[in-house]
Amino acid sequence: MKIAVSASGESLDSNVDPRFGRCPYFIIVDTEDNKIKSHEVVTNEAVQAMRGAGIQAAQTVANKGAKVVITGNIGPNAFNVLSQTGIKVFTGVSGKVDEALKKYLKGELKESTKSSF
Amino acid sequence: MKKIASTGTKGGVGKSTFAILLAFKLSKNKRVVLCDCDVECPNDYLILNQKLKNPENIYQDYPVLDKKRCVKCGICSKTCKENAIFWVKDKYPIFIYDLCTNCGACVIVCPNKAIKTKREKSGESFVNKVNDNFWLITGRSKPGITETGPIVSEVKERAIKFAKKKKVDYIILDTAPGTHCSVIQALLNVDKAYAVTEPTPLGAHDLSLILELIKKIKVPAEIILNKADVGNRELIEKIAKKFKTKISIEIPYSEKLVKAYCEKDLRRVAKLI
Repeated sequence: MKIAVSASGESLDSNVDPRFGRCPYFIIVDTEDNKIKSHEVVTNEAVQAMRGAGIQAAQTVANKGAKVVITGNIGPNAFNVLSQTGIKVFTGVSGKVDEALKKYLKGELKESTKSSF
Repeated sequence: MKKIASTGTKGGVGKSTFAILLAFKLSKNKRVVLCDCDVECPNDYLILNQKLKNPENIYQDYPVLDKKRCVKCGICSKTCKENAIFWVKDKYPIFIYDLCTNCGACVIVCPNKAIKTKREKSGESFVNKVNDNFWLITGRSKPGITETGPIVSEVKERAIKFAKKKKVDYIILDTAPGTHCSVIQALLNVDKAYAVTEPTPLGAHDLSLILELIKKIKVPAEIILNKADVGNRELIEKIAKKFKTKISIEIPYSEKLVKAYCEKDLRRVAKLI
């Protein structure tokens, strides 16, 4: 299963970016049996969007096949379309990307039921 | 009939005050319509001590998907410049009305005519008679509407139509602060735009933004310098020179003026300037 994390840098030990729509990168990991199998770094083109960055970013992660999104904050538009597409969203996450992923895999993160603002 | 705009990128510099005073002065011997184009929070009526009258709804067309016709090709999403159509491969597109500017491009490009439109109320316009020579037309967007350019465009059209009917000499358009769609719609095709600013670093920075926009839409401009005797005048002169734009009116800072303004005593404000 694929998991997308909003990241400030291009490696697994970079920080989880607090922004979903305008984070510089998405680190998309593929997991199997609750273990990280591989990861891919995707540049978030939505950073430059005049408007609707959240929608464009949501499209990027959905088209990459992610089923889970881990981020700091997410807006109502992006949250709604991700939910409608069947993608689970986990917000309020900070710290290193790999640590956030470990927490998720251990079941320590709580799924969000609404957007951050 | 001349169309004059009072505009600026920075808030609180005196755009509305200037627009109202200009309308007020012109109405002494000319017929004037003041059009409040700051539709997200119109306040000219408050300063003029009016209760908004004669409401008329403003509608916009939003896209609706006909799932029977849609083949999930995504052309609509790729065409939308506002990122207002979310689409993932093999799924139906989702329209985000908050971001939609009602341009209608998705309706045109859909190869299967799967996108229809529905009308929804997005705002209101009001007409108030201030005196025998002076009318106020106010635009107000519905709370929650984030794209207000089309509302401004409609209010302006109504103001122009009304002005023609009343054989008005001047329409004064009071714009929202900024350089976004809403401001552009108000400024298009005016005979003159007055850029109101103040002699502060932010005032100067924002003045250059609005003059850049005004240059792009090819409208003649002049600068109104409010609170001209406080702050740093040179900052504004530099921008004025760069854009070859005249500083035509200077309003000195006055505590008495602020007081009269807060007490909605327009006659006293007008006397003080």
